[in-house]
Amino acid sequence: MYPPPLQELIDLFSALPETERREMLINMAETAPLHAPAEGQTFDLEDVRKDEECTDTVGVFLTAGADGAVSYKISLGPQVQTLTRAMTSILCQGLNGSSPLDILEVPADFVPKIVGAELVRLRSQTVYYVLTRMKSAAKVYLNRLRTAAQE
Amino acid sequence: MSEKFASYANPDALVSTGWLAENLDTPGIRIVESNEDVLLYDTGHIPGAVHIDWRRDLNDQLVRDYIDPAGFADLCGRYGITPETTVIFYGDKSNWWSCYALWVFHLFGHTNCKILDGGRAKWSAEARSLTREVPKLEPVSYPEPPARLDGEIRAFYEDTLAHMIAGLPMVDVRSPGEFSGEVTHMPEYPQEGVLRGGHIPGAQSMPWAKAANPDATFRTADELRALYAGTLGLKKDDDIIAYCRIGERSSHTWFVLKYLLGYEKVRNYDGSWTEWGNRVRSPIERS
Repeated sequence: MYPPPLQELIDLFSALPETERREMLINMAETAPLHAPAEGQTFDLEDVRKDEECTDTVGVFLTAGADGAVSYKISLGPQVQTLTRAMTSILCQGLNGSSPLDILEVPADFVPKIVGAELVRLRSQTVYYVLTRMKSAAKVYLNRLRTAAQE
Repeated sequence: MSEKFASYANPDALVSTGWLAENLDTPGIRIVESNEDVLLYDTGHIPGAVHIDWRRDLNDQLVRDYIDPAGFADLCGRYGITPETTVIFYGDKSNWWSCYALWVFHLFGHTNCKILDGGRAKWSAEARSLTREVPKLEPVSYPEPPARLDGEIRAFYEDTLAHMIAGLPMVDVRSPGEFSGEVTHMPEYPQEGVLRGGHIPGAQSMPWAKAANPDATFRTADELRALYAGTLGLKKDDDIIAYCRIGERSSHTWFVLKYLLGYEKVRNYDGSWTEWGNRVRSPIERS
C-alpha cells in the first residue's frame, strides 16, 4: 500500500508515545534543509510556487533515474510551519526511489498515523500540502513521458 | 519605560524584549507562549516559559466554547499561576494567539496579564536565548473563579445581531478580500468551512495587520489612534464589537482597542465569521 521506506516511518511513528513522537517530528523538521536542492543542481522537473494553501513558497524538484524511479528535493520558505517541515523530511525519505505511479497511489491517510490525532487540526492541515505537491510533480512528469512516447 | 509604551492608555499592558530578558527569574512572573504553529514551543522557547495551546488548553474539548472556571483553575494551578501572578504572553503570528490567551484569562477575571511587544518574532530576531527545557513547576492551588465573565468582553451571535440592528460600531479585522466577500478564507490559509462570504452589515473594515509593524510589534499610540479614531471614527465610550473568523485576530484588535487605546467597552465576537457566515438566514453584506 505504501512504499516500503514510508511504511517503515509510519510503523516507527505509530509505535512512539506522544512525547517521543513530538521529539521525532522536531528532529525531522530540523533535517528538512538536507532535502533542499543544492545550488546549481539540475532537475527533470521544477515547480516553485506559493499557493494559498501554504504560508510560504514551496519548491518541488524531481529527478528521474534510468530505472524510472524518481527522487525529490524540496525547498521551503522561512514561514513554513514546523509540522510541514517535518512532513517534508518524512516524505523525501519515504518516497524517494519510488515510481511516479506508486507515488500517485499513496493514500494520504498515513498523515494522522505519523503526526498523531492531537496535532492534526484545522490550522495545521498544510501537512498534507507537500504530499499534494509531490504527487502533482509526479503526474506532470508522467504526462510528459506519455506525450514524448506518442511523438 | 519607553516613550512608545508611555503613550499608550495602559503602558503596563506591554513589556519589551529587553525588559523580559532582564526579568526571566523575577518572582511572581509566569511567561506563557501561545502559537498557531503547534510544535513551535517544542523547538525552543523563552527560558522558563510554559506552553498554553489554544485548542487543547483553552477550548472545551466537546462544545465550541471555552473551558469552565474549574478548568481554568486547574490550568493555572498546573502552571504554577496564582491570582497574584503576572502572566506575560508571547507567541507567533504577531501575537494573535497570545492576545487570544490573554483575552481568555480576562474572561476569568485574571487581568494581571501583559503581552511581549513583538512576540516570538522579535525575541528570535534579536538572537535572544531559547531553550528546549520545559520548566518543572510545583502545582499550586488557584481558587475557582465564581464565573466566566462572558457578558463583559465576549459577544455571542445574538449580541452581535442586536448590535447590528442598533447600528452600533463593529470592526471586521479580516483581510480586505474576506470583508468584501471575494474569498472565504484568509490569504495563505486553508478553507475553514464557511459557506457564505461577506461581512456583517454595518461593520467597518480595519484589518488587524494595520495595528502591527513588520517586526510584529504594535504600532505607536498615534498611529493606532489615526486608524481607529481617525479612519473608523470610534469614540472612547462607544460600545464596540470586533470579529474575524474564529476570534484570534480579533483578540489582537480587542487588546489594541481596550488596553493600548483605552476604549471602555470592547467585546470580542469569538464565534466570528465561521458562525455568522454559516448560520441560516444571517444577514450578510458584500462590497
